[in-house]
Amino acid sequence: MEIIQIKNLIKKYKNEKKVLDIKKLTVKQGEIFSLLGPNGAGKSTLINILTTYLDYDSGEIKILGKNLREESKEIRKNIACVAQNISIDEHLSLEENLIFQGNLYGIAKEELKKRAERFIDEFELKEYVKSPVSTYSGGIKRRLDIAVNMISCPKILFLDEPTVGIDIHSRKIIWEMMKRIKDKYGTTIFLTTHYLEEAQELSDYICIMKNGDIAAQGTINDLEKYINQKIIKIEFENEKNAEYAKEKIFKDKSVRLKKNELYLKIDSQDEIIYLNKILLDNKIDFLYFGLLKPNLEEIFINIMDENRESEGIWQ
Amino acid sequence: MAIGTIFKRNIKWRIQNPITIIMSILQPMLWLLFYTKAAEMTMKGETGGNYIEFILPGILILVIFSSSGSSGISNYITKKNGSFYRILISPIKRSDIILGHLFETISVSFLEIGILVIISSFFSSYVNSGIKGIIVIIILLFLTAFLTAGISYFLSLSLPNEDAFFTVINTLVLPIFFVSTALFPLKNMTGNFRVMVLLNPFTHMIESIRNIMLNEYICWKEVIFTGGIFFILCCIIFLITLGKLKGGKKV
Repeated sequence: MEIIQIKNLIKKYKNEKKVLDIKKLTVKQGEIFSLLGPNGAGKSTLINILTTYLDYDSGEIKILGKNLREESKEIRKNIACVAQNISIDEHLSLEENLIFQGNLYGIAKEELKKRAERFIDEFELKEYVKSPVSTYSGGIKRRLDIAVNMISCPKILFLDEPTVGIDIHSRKIIWEMMKRIKDKYGTTIFLTTHYLEEAQELSDYICIMKNGDIAAQGTINDLEKYINQKIIKIEFENEKNAEYAKEKIFKDKSVRLKKNELYLKIDSQDEIIYLNKILLDNKIDFLYFGLLKPNLEEIFINIMDENRESEGIWQ
Repeated sequence: MAIGTIFKRNIKWRIQNPITIIMSILQPMLWLLFYTKAAEMTMKGETGGNYIEFILPGILILVIFSSSGSSGISNYITKKNGSFYRILISPIKRSDIILGHLFETISVSFLEIGILVIISSFFSSYVNSGIKGIIVIIILLFLTAFLTAGISYFLSLSLPNEDAFFTVINTLVLPIFFVSTALFPLKNMTGNFRVMVLLNPFTHMIESIRNIMLNEYICWKEVIFTGGIFFILCCIIFLITLGKLKGGKKV
């Protein structure tokens, strides 16, 4: 079942410039849907619209089969959002934060108490119950933030870049939390992130946004060619050597020259040894030889350029 | 009703930040203790007796301006820490969000009013119309605090940041206070200034409370007129604020 359906969504700035222009986007129930994109791509604006916070100019949005504009109150009962900024109240205790959120959703007192205990256990927050919330680290605050938003057992949990500024250890714990939320509670997770590895680790479906539009979307396998593209970077002592290597040694390869650096696209990791051997055999000195993983920006460039039927990054 | 939920949460914040109460009561208290002493000599003949009794209604309005008028600032704090957004996307009624906030602010105003009334009682300032008068004054002060806190809440939704908010509040509060009968009796005012003072609804509120305090009877006509104006203004500001909170936000 499609739990979120977006058709022809347009959202403009006050100055009439388009922030979002999405033809079609759907999210299936029970999946982790990741929205990837650089700053300014429109990810947070989309989340703000889907969580009923922002209005939009035109288009049709249905959440749980309900029209976003006409049935926003019904939709609000079934969603929660872990916003970019940690939104817990530091003047309340850990338990009070959970109870306050539960009261907003009208959960009965006894049930609320049970849920609070369950989520404190589930998200390993028991040892922090007696400490003031203001003394928590960023990672613990984020875990509490997620627990607070899970207290209403939402059907859809939106997470807007939940691991930004969080240390790697806490990030891994949060990833585990998200998987547990999906598996145990069947919650659909709508995640926005900057991190490719986060999207790869968690997502059932990925959507890549650029300038308010969808650049590409699909499962991890569908987007494999973009995400897992392998590039070899070779840095030479001078531009002459780099040019020589491009013209004479790697003339049959897909190569891009940038000053004294060469970038080669490869299909498999086995080629690394082969290319290294060629350079050594031809006695060409180099300063650096390494495998690069494309960053998000390079992936976007590649997708956008490919859409223009060009050679992408290799132009 | 989620009004209680919002109310309790805000009260907890207030208890942990008593400085907000101290700061908003400080200025009215200084006016009550020092200005009255300084002005008493010159104003005695004009106000016909105890100047503290005369000035107290104006000081009570000033303390409401100070506490309820600045209450919108908490919206900027909660917008920054994200809880404003979290509350707004929850299924509670928008009116409950506003009312929970307003009632907490009004409670703080009444706490400060209570403190000022206790202090002024040491200077022989009483409500001459008795218990009935006290109840009417409480209702009138409630309407004043509701209106002031409502305007403050509306401004916090409309203005982009705290600086703009405080600029507007400070620009509004002092002229409204001085262009009223808070410090001087109406009988001494003439010309355009008198017209401006009479156009200020807070003048009528101050006069109504003052008359209930100074006289042994209640002029119901005056109370209904003032209360009616404030009730209508409260409804208008509440509906405008509700529309603002319900309406789609722009980026």
